[in-house]
Amino acid sequence: MSGVTTPENDAPGTGAAAEGPPTVADLRAEAVLLVAALPVSVRRVRVASGSAVVEVDWAPVDVAAVPVAAVPVMGPAVGGTVPAIVTAAVPSTAVPSTAAPAVARHRVTAPLVGTVYRRPAPGEPPFVDVGDVVEPGRQVAIVEAMKLMNEITTEHGGTVVAIPVEDGEMVEYGQVLVELDPTGNEG
Amino acid sequence: MFAKVLVANRGEIAVRVIRACRELGVRTVAVYSTADASSRAVQLADEAVHIGPAPAKQSYLHIPNVIGAAVKTGVDAIHPGYGFLSEDPYFAAICAEHGITFIGPPPEVMEALGDKATVRGLMGAAGLPLLPGTTTAPASLDEAVAAADEVGFPLLLKASAGGGGRGIAIVRSRGDLPAAFRAVRAQARSLFNDPSVYLERFLEPARHIEVQVMCDDHGGVTHLGERDCSVQRRNQKLLEESPSPAVDAGLRAELGAAAVRGARAVGYRGAGTMEFLLDTENRFWFMEMNCRIQVEHPVTEMVTAIDLVAEQLRVAAGEPLSFTQDDIGIRGHAVECRINAEDPERGFAPTPGVLTAFDAPGGPWVRFDSHCVAGSVVPPHYDSLIAKVIVWAPDRDAALNRMHRALGELRVEGAGLHTTTAFQRELVVHPAFRRGGVTTDFLQTDWREGATGAAPDTAQLTV
Repeated sequence: MSGVTTPENDAPGTGAAAEGPPTVADLRAEAVLLVAALPVSVRRVRVASGSAVVEVDWAPVDVAAVPVAAVPVMGPAVGGTVPAIVTAAVPSTAVPSTAAPAVARHRVTAPLVGTVYRRPAPGEPPFVDVGDVVEPGRQVAIVEAMKLMNEITTEHGGTVVAIPVEDGEMVEYGQVLVELDPTGNEG
Repeated sequence: MFAKVLVANRGEIAVRVIRACRELGVRTVAVYSTADASSRAVQLADEAVHIGPAPAKQSYLHIPNVIGAAVKTGVDAIHPGYGFLSEDPYFAAICAEHGITFIGPPPEVMEALGDKATVRGLMGAAGLPLLPGTTTAPASLDEAVAAADEVGFPLLLKASAGGGGRGIAIVRSRGDLPAAFRAVRAQARSLFNDPSVYLERFLEPARHIEVQVMCDDHGGVTHLGERDCSVQRRNQKLLEESPSPAVDAGLRAELGAAAVRGARAVGYRGAGTMEFLLDTENRFWFMEMNCRIQVEHPVTEMVTAIDLVAEQLRVAAGEPLSFTQDDIGIRGHAVECRINAEDPERGFAPTPGVLTAFDAPGGPWVRFDSHCVAGSVVPPHYDSLIAKVIVWAPDRDAALNRMHRALGELRVEGAGLHTTTAFQRELVVHPAFRRGGVTTDFLQTDWREGATGAAPDTAQLTV
């Protein structure tokens, strides 16, 4: 056909004719395929449907290469329409190769790229210090990007055991900001 | 020349840009989403910054995170590749605000080129031939109907802010217009955040011929010949070649002159592509201009011996082009096949997964542009392009034979994974294709069932 333009686009291939959002049955079928394809023993599979999710947890194998399993996406996932975002979760407890800690630590990571600040303003005391006991929801840092201050809070409570970043350091997505030994009651 | 460049892209084009940088002695920064943490670009770059989870909107399209990575690593410039932020004037302006050079045309030129209806007007004023159509987007159905009567049927409704072959619908008769107008406007709003749609006469059958231009800040405005990209399905290119079998030296000169005129008219800088349609009487019509490096740039590189990405870096760094128009010669014939992880038997549905085998072709004048190796994961979040096979030979027949040989060596395997390779291998030996006569509706026909050259069925365009 004519009237065509260069197709380098960032969206996945156009794929099959638009089928609408995936059903739970679709996602279950995909999850079965994914589990079969993974070279690890799967611990937990979660299948949703609104905004489509398939999550797979598996026992940590080797910390060196944590596989991010690709899950086939159903239907169009083009920017602008509701994307059928399908992700495979990495193990929630990454075990270090040397002596594993008795309790898995909770890591608060940067959800964006920017500058981390450990205190609300220069001269003020830091949000948290090593040794502090914090409740879930406690703010532990700010990450600033393009003049926007983003509050970083911890999902889990516990004792702060490490803060591996400096005030004013530029951090990348996923970089560990605060490490906690979680207290007993969280999931 | 820049000291350090960030590549705001992924996959094969990120590797391509890194390669050009390395040859110029420029240090490189790769940005990656979680899904691309082990990718080739990350391995090859001098530095890498994790910028977000897999979804493009939270990573490769996430301007603050990309800029954050650029500031963090202290780069001089950002190369946007193709797709993603490569034609986003807002991103180009943000780069400038941060003192970072965006490798591409100035933001205001990109902005002008971003409205396809307006560009029609600009190019028409520059003397380029235009198909009947509008240079503005009709604001109402009534305006659209009035315009349609002037433009004539069949016509195309095209999203003004569109690109990549999306947001296009064919309208064959007046009665079909209202529903199509509403549908394409909705699609355009959803895909491009802008419901504006313009009208253009639908030319069928036609060949898609595009001209590569390269412009610097020293008055150098050049063209590097044409590419024929008529082999497409659902507006996505599968095979490209240079030169076009339909274009002789005289037509090439005309196309080149038109492309240069158009590039000058918009004040273009960097690498760009002027797209035309060629009708059955070898008349050409301006379609649109793309202001980025394109997927199929290698075929131009093979027949001109010019490194286009290196020239992009030079121009962006303020240097003049390393060649003049007189230096450009088209020698031999080059063909590229895009290898997509898709199943041709299931409507080219994407087939992401793990590559258990990935053997690249080789040999004389065989170029393989890919970011994948055996063990690579093809993620579902992005386009399905996993490799490009490009060959050169002294003439078209030899090039197509070489492509057939090279595609036969390519081995891509994975659970549930399919590619378009077998399909393309059939194509390059198909008599109609060898004769050089195919137009953009070729893949819509029953071409695989009859090599007799029988008349194709009337194509039903899928949009």
